[in-house]
Amino acid sequence: MAEKKFYKEELKILKEDFDDLKVYLDEIRNILPISVCTLSSFWVIVDINRTAGTLIGYKPLEIIGQSIDFIFQKKQELEKIKEKAERGKRVITEETLLTPKNKKEILVSISIVGRKDREGNLIGYFLSIADITETKKYQKKLEERTKELEKARATLEIKVKTRTRELKELAESLEEKVKERTKESEKRTKELEESRTALMNMLEDVEESRKALINMLEDVEEARGKAEEEKNKTLAVITNFADGLLALDKENKLSLINPQAEVFFDVKSRDIIDRPILELSTFPTIEPVVKLVGKEIKGVFRKEVRIREDLVLEVSTIPVTREEEKLGTLIILHDVTREKTIERMKTEFVSLTAHQLRTPLSAIKWTLRMLLDGDLGRITEEQKDFLEKTYKSNERMITLINDLLDVTRIEEGRYLYKPVLTDTEPIVQFAINSHKEEIKKKKIKFEFKKPEEELPKIKLDVEKIRLAIDNLIDNAIRYTPAYGKVTVSLEYRKGVIEFSIKDTGVGIPKDQQGRVFTKFFRAANVMRMATEGFGLGLFITKNIIEAHGGKIWFESEEGKGTTFYFTLSVKEEFGEFLKEF
Amino acid sequence: MAKKILLVEDEEIMINLLQKKLIREGYEISVARNGEEGLKAMREVKPDLILLDIIMPKMGGFEVMEEMGKDKNLKDIPVIVISNSGQPVEIDKAQKLGAKDWLIKTEFDPQEVIDKVVKQIGK
Repeated sequence: MAEKKFYKEELKILKEDFDDLKVYLDEIRNILPISVCTLSSFWVIVDINRTAGTLIGYKPLEIIGQSIDFIFQKKQELEKIKEKAERGKRVITEETLLTPKNKKEILVSISIVGRKDREGNLIGYFLSIADITETKKYQKKLEERTKELEKARATLEIKVKTRTRELKELAESLEEKVKERTKESEKRTKELEESRTALMNMLEDVEESRKALINMLEDVEEARGKAEEEKNKTLAVITNFADGLLALDKENKLSLINPQAEVFFDVKSRDIIDRPILELSTFPTIEPVVKLVGKEIKGVFRKEVRIREDLVLEVSTIPVTREEEKLGTLIILHDVTREKTIERMKTEFVSLTAHQLRTPLSAIKWTLRMLLDGDLGRITEEQKDFLEKTYKSNERMITLINDLLDVTRIEEGRYLYKPVLTDTEPIVQFAINSHKEEIKKKKIKFEFKKPEEELPKIKLDVEKIRLAIDNLIDNAIRYTPAYGKVTVSLEYRKGVIEFSIKDTGVGIPKDQQGRVFTKFFRAANVMRMATEGFGLGLFITKNIIEAHGGKIWFESEEGKGTTFYFTLSVKEEFGEFLKEF
Repeated sequence: MAKKILLVEDEEIMINLLQKKLIREGYEISVARNGEEGLKAMREVKPDLILLDIIMPKMGGFEVMEEMGKDKNLKDIPVIVISNSGQPVEIDKAQKLGAKDWLIKTEFDPQEVIDKVVKQIGK
């Protein structure tokens, strides 16, 4: 009995425990936040917890006894899920649509697990339902976000790549630049190094120079003493120089005048020193010299200037230069009064003699002529022959005397007479005509190349120019062998008329060409030819041309021929040659 | 009637030569040996032409012409100058003083003198 009681008691306790457990389970089921449905083995809903009721919207009485097909209306899906659950031993979880009481379908995730008894027989299923609408929304959002992020990432990646490339390029270019810079700076460094070396060398040189300079300075001190002495000597030379000296600085101011020049000009150094040359023309004695040299101090060589009646100076200017830099000018005044006096006496003597000679020569000429003409009685052929020869000799003598007179007139500076504006061509033609006979006799091929256009008229002393041309033609014919050629041409170019006469004659020996225009010059080769001539023709010709402001020159080769040229300027004024006789 | 020519010249041989030549040509010749004589002679003779030298003792040819220019009886007598010299200035001067012609002794022959005389006064 006791035992029965004990079991009873025990049973009672167990029952109480069991009830407690049932309450406990119910409570747990109802407070679970997930929906739980208990199903029979034929998928009929036998119980739902509170959360499930809230989710599906049905009260337990409305839904218990219904198949789950009532709330899950996607039939095909549901069948698959049932099949899986019947076969499987473990929990399966699937997504599907739940149709609650209000018919607004909800996306849910369901998990199903089989219910078994103590022997392990399937007696039904537990179904839990979780609303995953929000989750899905979040998931969708998340996916979108992920996509955006992915997109952003891609964009960023591209940007990053671009940027990276840019940076890389930048880096490369920088590297290049850096390389260049490096190279440059290496070069600079090298240059600097070289400069430094050069500088060092220079410094060494300077040091050496300094030493040399010190040595030199010692020498210079000695030299200075010598120079001082030398300067004193030079000054003494200048002071006591027989010629007058004027030194002008580079501004043409008078920087020195020696005592001799003071005497010449009758001035005192202190009155004129440091004054510009132009101002000095206010002194009547200096004026002729200033006039000669001009304000720029032109090159003058041995030009005569009459200062007073009893003083003629020969003026020369010498530019003073040092290493091509002009330092000034030296004017040298040489007293030629005595020479001029002697020269004048000589000229006067020659002039007088020539005049005196002309009278008997005329008498001889006229007598011979009358004899030859038979005015003084008949003469034999032999007598006539001798008289002819004598007459010719006399004519030569007359020519010489006339030449000598021309020379004296040239030397006295009274030669040209009244230039008139005239044509040159007829003068040349006239001179040629007067040589026709000789040309014919020597069978010389003579040509006169006349100008193509009419030449401008020119102011000249017709007689003198004719004489000048005559002399040149005479020489050309005289010194050209028979059958030779003489060409005269007349041209106008650049304001001058150029006359030239080319012959195929004996030519002038090179060593004697410098003396061609001097008085009484006759070349060695023509002396041997024993032709007549006194060596005055070219001297006279040159003086005539130069008195007209023209130029005369020649080209010659011995044995080949000579060409003489002269030019006359169309506009030349030559008043100074028209002095009173 | 023969034309009268006065020859004023100091050189004897020239006088002889010219005289001979001119007489042969049919002229009547009188001679003066210097300028002074020349002026005196031309007043007496009243020649048709005067041949006048320039350089002469006592009075030269130019002075003779100057004097002639002052005398209305003499100033119209033609003058031919015969001279040793023949510078253009001299010729100019002679022309201004009224000389009709000029000849230089060394450049002319006696015959040419005759030609010039004939040109002035005819035969």
